[in-house]
Amino acid sequence: MTLAVLLPLLMAAVCALLARPLGRRTGYLAALGFAPALLLAVPLAGNSVGVGGTPLVQVTNWVPELGLEFAFRGDGFSLLFAVLIGVIGALATLYSVAYLSERERFGRFYPFLLLFGGSMLGLVLSDNMIALFAFWEMTSVTSFLLIGLWHTRSEARDGAIKAFLVSALGGLGLLAAVALLSIAGDSTSLSGLDLDAVRASPLFVPALLLTLLAAFTKSAQLPFHLWLPTAMEAPTPVSAFLHSATMVKAGVVLVAKFGLIFGTSALWGGVIVPLGLATMFWGSWRALKQTDLKALLAYSTVSQLGLLMALYGLADAEGRFAATAHLLNHAAFKAALFFVVGIIDHEMGTRETFRLSGLRRKLPLTFAVALLATLSMAGLPPLGGFISKELFYEAMLHAGPGFIAVAVIGSALTLAYCARLIGIFFGDFQAPEDDGGQLLKPQIHEAGPGLLLPPALLAGAALLFGLLPASAEWLTRRAGAALDFAGHGGHLYLWHGVTPALLLTLLTWGLAALLVWQAARVYFLQVHLELPISSNRIYRGVLDGLNTLASRVIAGTQGLALPDQLRITLAAAGVMGGYAVWRAPQVFQPLEPLPLSTLPIAVLLVAGALGVLLSRNRLTAVILTGLTGFGSAAAFLTMRAPDLALTQLLIEAITVILFLLVFRYLPGFRSLPRSRVRRVIDVGLAGAAGIGTTLLILASLRFLSPPISPYYLENAYKGGGGKNVVNVILVDFRGFDTLGEIMVVGMVALAVGSLVRLGRRGQARSETDTVPGTPDLQTLDLQQRRS
Amino acid sequence: MSPRRAAKRAVKAVADRPQPGDLLINDPILKTISRAAFALVMLFALLLLWRGHNAPGGGFIAGLMTVGALILHRIANGDSALRLDPVKFIPWGLALSLTTGLVPYLLGRSFLKSDYGYITTALTGEFEWATALLFDLGVYLVVVGAGLSLAYALIEVEPTELVEGDR
Repeated sequence: MTLAVLLPLLMAAVCALLARPLGRRTGYLAALGFAPALLLAVPLAGNSVGVGGTPLVQVTNWVPELGLEFAFRGDGFSLLFAVLIGVIGALATLYSVAYLSERERFGRFYPFLLLFGGSMLGLVLSDNMIALFAFWEMTSVTSFLLIGLWHTRSEARDGAIKAFLVSALGGLGLLAAVALLSIAGDSTSLSGLDLDAVRASPLFVPALLLTLLAAFTKSAQLPFHLWLPTAMEAPTPVSAFLHSATMVKAGVVLVAKFGLIFGTSALWGGVIVPLGLATMFWGSWRALKQTDLKALLAYSTVSQLGLLMALYGLADAEGRFAATAHLLNHAAFKAALFFVVGIIDHEMGTRETFRLSGLRRKLPLTFAVALLATLSMAGLPPLGGFISKELFYEAMLHAGPGFIAVAVIGSALTLAYCARLIGIFFGDFQAPEDDGGQLLKPQIHEAGPGLLLPPALLAGAALLFGLLPASAEWLTRRAGAALDFAGHGGHLYLWHGVTPALLLTLLTWGLAALLVWQAARVYFLQVHLELPISSNRIYRGVLDGLNTLASRVIAGTQGLALPDQLRITLAAAGVMGGYAVWRAPQVFQPLEPLPLSTLPIAVLLVAGALGVLLSRNRLTAVILTGLTGFGSAAAFLTMRAPDLALTQLLIEAITVILFLLVFRYLPGFRSLPRSRVRRVIDVGLAGAAGIGTTLLILASLRFLSPPISPYYLENAYKGGGGKNVVNVILVDFRGFDTLGEIMVVGMVALAVGSLVRLGRRGQARSETDTVPGTPDLQTLDLQQRRS
Repeated sequence: MSPRRAAKRAVKAVADRPQPGDLLINDPILKTISRAAFALVMLFALLLLWRGHNAPGGGFIAGLMTVGALILHRIANGDSALRLDPVKFIPWGLALSLTTGLVPYLLGRSFLKSDYGYITTALTGEFEWATALLFDLGVYLVVVGAGLSLAYALIEVEPTELVEGDR
């Protein structure tokens, strides 16, 4: 299992290095990264894990002192999901080989995809909650990178930022929830939590709500659904992998797993089930409105996730059984449909429904695949989607009459948008044209096997789950022990007999037929029925508000003339330091007398400082500043610290050189006019700063704890193998500090370097396009208006 | 030399030629002295790096000294003594230091645990090796990369405003 998580991450590095020579074929290498995840099917199939057996556990210590470890726990549900990720990941990678253009930057695409795959596998397999959080955040970051892959397009940038901000909000929620849980349950491991203590703890409700925040943002539930449709700016294989079958299901996984902890509370189901159903309704309502096929699928995903959420939110055996079955079905048909839309986009040059018709004639194989997947999504027999929809109805019937009503309406809408989706294949064929009447693709032909095979396999699975329900049930049962529904007696059948669920299905079909029949009126209603508040508007408002606030704060505090800046800083430091001295004056120690030999050094230092004050020339000032530096070096030497002295000397030399280089850009030296009052204030500030620094140094002479230097002196040679204690401290005893420091040095150099380069004429190249960012970030609605 | 490499080198030579605005002091005395001084300072810097574990010196000091030497060379001769972009030293140095920390960790000891030992060879007599030297080499590379990339950036930029004579 550890390998299943690690190999994709390792392969990401390999692919990044080999992408240039391999080009398009990098994809085959990348697909290998998912091989160990696929091999997890072996323990999954073994009965020992699936039904009530002990889960696989692999633990690698990370920082055991903090309770951090890479603990992977392969129970039935985790393994099932891991294999699912492996299958869809491998298919999406292979699909990309045929889908992406030759000019795509494979060195970015495949590593990002693999990094995502690895973190997703880590997320589902992780038993340690802190590691789970880390993987969770990694999926957010990699998703950001993948959505923004074509970052020269402003829509892609907007979509990436939006997705990242929303899921980062949830990430914070998860971090807090994990912290609360580990405090309440006295363990950082999911399986080691003391459930009774958690449930009795006052932290229970906050942890529950924060977990829900995380799950809802990740799985695009109302009101956080806004990021998923714009995330469709990612390349289509990515959409199929991340935004339909895996990443967006991370929230569902969270709800499923944490439901075992929180499920006892009425609040849990009371929040999830209504919100999930509302999302299901809203998603399918919006999906019906879309003309872009990918946007349609995006909203459909929102809707289906709502359904899954509602089922897992019931937190009973029936709900979990139905949800797990539907999870499998959804992964199969949704990924297949995304692949199909990719094919249509690839072969026809457009995804707009009103430009496409009669594709059946030109793309017969694609049509067959699309038909199977759409039937499954619509919940029609004899496909897998029908069976899990029946189970969904059963579960909702037990939940209450209001719920079942929403479920039926949502399903009818689903059926209606499925009809629109498949509609592009019927009617007379017309070659798609753009607005100016130009043909988008001169020659249209069926997609190659590289594009067709992945969706065909998935559609085949959807058909298998329908025609042979025992296969789907066998898979679903694997998760039984882990999700506590092993005792549930339900089965998957195509024909349940005349049950209330079947009657509801017939009602759904009737409603859907009405919707399709009255399509024009429904469309009219959709265009004219706009809610006054939308999540997008709130998101934009918050973002704009934050930007304005930040600009105001910066305008008020930064960007002043340097003397003003200095006055503020020194005054603040003076006030705080003065308060400290006033509160605790006893920190000072009597000083030991210094040897007379230091007198010349002191004179040198003071002379340098005074000289800087009096000089009227920059060059003189810098050289005199250097004098104080050399004076300090001399002082270090008298105190027998050659390393420090050497460092100080070199720093002074380099600083003077850098100063001289910078001087070429500075305007001439001039003194600013100063009023008498100003002058007094400035002298006061300067004096306070000087006195304050002296006091600080004096105060630091007193040791708060026994000094550590004897330890260093004693152990430098024995433990570090060096006679130069300073160096041994730097590279060994406090090596971690040094590592941090060189990171800072590197970062500063990169930052200053890019700032300097910005000022260079003709060098500030930007990789972005000239198209301005969409002002309202509602790219999908813009497309809507164009139609 | 293959034609492709020759072409590459030609392109590089053009790129290395002083651009307008480059700081170039065409001073024969400086040039002559810098040649000798550069070699001496570089050798001393490497010595400092090498002996740092047992005598004053170390990666940071050696790095600063190397930066000084390379700036001198750059200003005197108008081109870099390095064929590499100094910015690239930063990630390599960081990676090296991090690796010396990670290797003991992966071998089951604590992060950044250093190791050392003694080898006796005919040529050098007793000779101490320490993994801390590799860590220090990483520090050295980062310092050289950071200092040089700053200095080079400043040297190459064309001043947008001419300096009025200092009063």
